[in-house]
Amino acid sequence: MNTIDARIHQVLDGELPADALPAEQRDATDAIRAAADLLAAPVPVRSLESRVMAEIHRPAPSFARRVTAWLATPHAITFRVRPVWSLAFAAAAAVFTLFYARDVGPQLGEHEGIAQFVGRFPDARSVHVVGTFNDWRPGTIALQDLDHDGVWTATVVLPAGTYEYMFVVDGERWVPDHLADRLVADDFGRENSVVIVRPVHR
Amino acid sequence: MRLWAVLALLGMPLTAQSVQSRLEGRIPSDAVPVVDSLVQVALHEGLPSEPLVQKALEGGAKQVPSPRIVAAVQASLGQLRDAHELLVRAGDQPPIRAGEVTTVAWALRRKVPPSTVAHVVTELPHPPRAAAIHAIADLVAHGFDPDSSAGLIIAAVHGGLQRDRLLDVSTAALHEVQRGRTRDEAIAVVRQQLPNVPGPPKPERGTITRAHRPDTPSPP
Amino acid sequence: MDVIGAPSDAEIVARVLGGDAEAFGFVIRRYEAGLLRFATRMLGSRDAAADAVAEGLVRAYRHLASCREPDRLRTWLYRIVTNRCKSHLARRSVGDVPLDEAPPVADPADGEAELERAEQLALVQRALTGLSPDKREAFVLKHVEGLSYEEMAAITGERIPTLKMRVHRAREALLKVLEDHT
Repeated sequence: MNTIDARIHQVLDGELPADALPAEQRDATDAIRAAADLLAAPVPVRSLESRVMAEIHRPAPSFARRVTAWLATPHAITFRVRPVWSLAFAAAAAVFTLFYARDVGPQLGEHEGIAQFVGRFPDARSVHVVGTFNDWRPGTIALQDLDHDGVWTATVVLPAGTYEYMFVVDGERWVPDHLADRLVADDFGRENSVVIVRPVHR
Repeated sequence: MRLWAVLALLGMPLTAQSVQSRLEGRIPSDAVPVVDSLVQVALHEGLPSEPLVQKALEGGAKQVPSPRIVAAVQASLGQLRDAHELLVRAGDQPPIRAGEVTTVAWALRRKVPPSTVAHVVTELPHPPRAAAIHAIADLVAHGFDPDSSAGLIIAAVHGGLQRDRLLDVSTAALHEVQRGRTRDEAIAVVRQQLPNVPGPPKPERGTITRAHRPDTPSPP
Repeated sequence: MDVIGAPSDAEIVARVLGGDAEAFGFVIRRYEAGLLRFATRMLGSRDAAADAVAEGLVRAYRHLASCREPDRLRTWLYRIVTNRCKSHLARRSVGDVPLDEAPPVADPADGEAELERAEQLALVQRALTGLSPDKREAFVLKHVEGLSYEEMAAITGERIPTLKMRVHRAREALLKVLEDHT
C-alpha cells in the first residue's frame, strides 16, 4: 500500500491549512483536487423526470393481475383442440381465474412488514388503532368485526420499525392492547402498547 | 431551567414550518410555540426531533392539558440527552445516528439499566443496534437478569445472527420459560442452540391479502 | 442552491404526501444532476447510472412517508441511490464492464485541451472503477459530491473513522495510478 504523508490527508480533510504542507507535498493535494474537479463535471444525461413520473403514475401490476386482466378481456383467438382437451382447458382456466381473481393484496416493499391488531370489545360500535405510525391521528385505521363476535381486527402494512399505539373504542375510550408483548409508560399516566414490525421480505 | 428563560436565551425564531404545520390543530395552540422551541433545541444539540413531535401529537390526541404535554415533551428531550450521553461515553463518535439515540432512549424507558445498555454499545461497536437492544429489553421486561440477557444477545451477534433475527433469540428464551424452565436455564438452552433459533412464521397468504396501508381504505 | 420563491424540501414532501404527486417533479429537478453524477462515478456507466437513479427516485416517491426528516431530504435520497448502486454492482459479475465505460471519444474538432481533458477524465474514471465499492463510494461522496464526514455517515450508516480510512486509502490508490501514468 502506498501510504502518503498524513498531513496531505489532513489538508484535504480541511484539518490543516494548505500552507502547512511543504511545497514538494502539495503536488499530491493538487492532483487529488484536479481529479475531483474532472469527476465533478456534470454528466450529460437526459433528464429522468418524464421517466420517473411515468413510473410513479403506473404502478406495476403483479403477474397474477396481468394474467387475470388478460383472461377477463375478450381476445380474438382461435385454436383447434380435441373436445376432451377443450374441457380440460376450460376447467384449468376457471380454476386459475377463481384463484387469482381475488385481490392478491398490496405489493410489499423490501422494508415493509405487516402488523396485526386484535382486540376483544364485545359491545363496541367502533374500534380504531392510533399510534406513532399515523401521527396519533384518531379515525384513520379502523378495526373490523365482520362476524359480530366482539373480536375486532385490522391488518396493516407498515414500514419496518418500532411503534407505540393504543386502541380507541367508540371514539372516546383509550385502551392498551392487552395482547401485546410490550408495554411502555406514556408519560400521561397510561401505558402504550408497542409493536415491532419486521420486514416480510428478508 | 424555566422554559421562558430557554426561549429568551436562544432567541430562536419559530422555524421548521414542517413541525409547526404538524402540530397546529392537533395540540392546544398555546403549546405549539413551546413544543416547537423544544424541537429546535433538540435539533441544535444534534438530537432526533421526531420523538418529541410524536409525544406532543400523542398528548394532543389523548386531550391532555398543555402543561402536561409540554412536561412530557421536556421529559422526552431529557431521555434523548441521557441516551446521547450514554452512547458517547460508551465510545460512539459524534454525530450519533438519530436511530441509535432513539433506540437507547427507548431501552432506558423500558427500564434496561444504563450500565447494561452501555455494555451492549461497547460490545457491538457497529450500528444499527436497535434489534439487539429491543431483544434485551424484551427479556428484561419479562424478568430476565439484564446482564445475562445482554450476554445472550451479544453471543448471538458474535455467532452471526443479525438485525431482527435477534428478536427470535429473545422469543426463544421466553418460550423456554413458558415450557417450565427457569430464566437461567432458558438462557443456557438458547445459547446452546445459537445460531439455529427458529425464525418467525411467514405471514399467511390470507393475511397479506387482507392487509392495507393506513392511507387507503380497508378492503370490503 | 436556493432559488427565491422555490418551495423547500419539507414543503414539497408535505404536498406529495397530501396527494399532489406532480410536486415530486421538484425533487427530481432539484437533485437528479447530483445523483446522476454520483451514480455515474460509482457505476462507471451513464446508462446504469440513469437506471439506478430512476429506480431510486421511484422508490423514494413510494416510501416518502418514511422520510422522517424532510429537511434532510437530500441525505435520504443519496442513501437510497447509494443502495441502488450497490445492488447494481452486486448484480454485475466480475469482469462485466458496461459498454459505455470505454473512454468518451472526443470530437476531433475539439481543441487539444479538450482532448487532453477527455483522456484525463477517462484515466481518473478507470482508476476510480479499480477501487473497491466502499472506497469508491467514500471518495465520490467526499470529493465529488463535497459532503462532510457527518453527512457521509448519515448516508452510509458507517462511522466517521471508517469513512476517513476509506477516503484516505482511496486517495493513496488514485495517486499511485496517476503517478504511474505520468
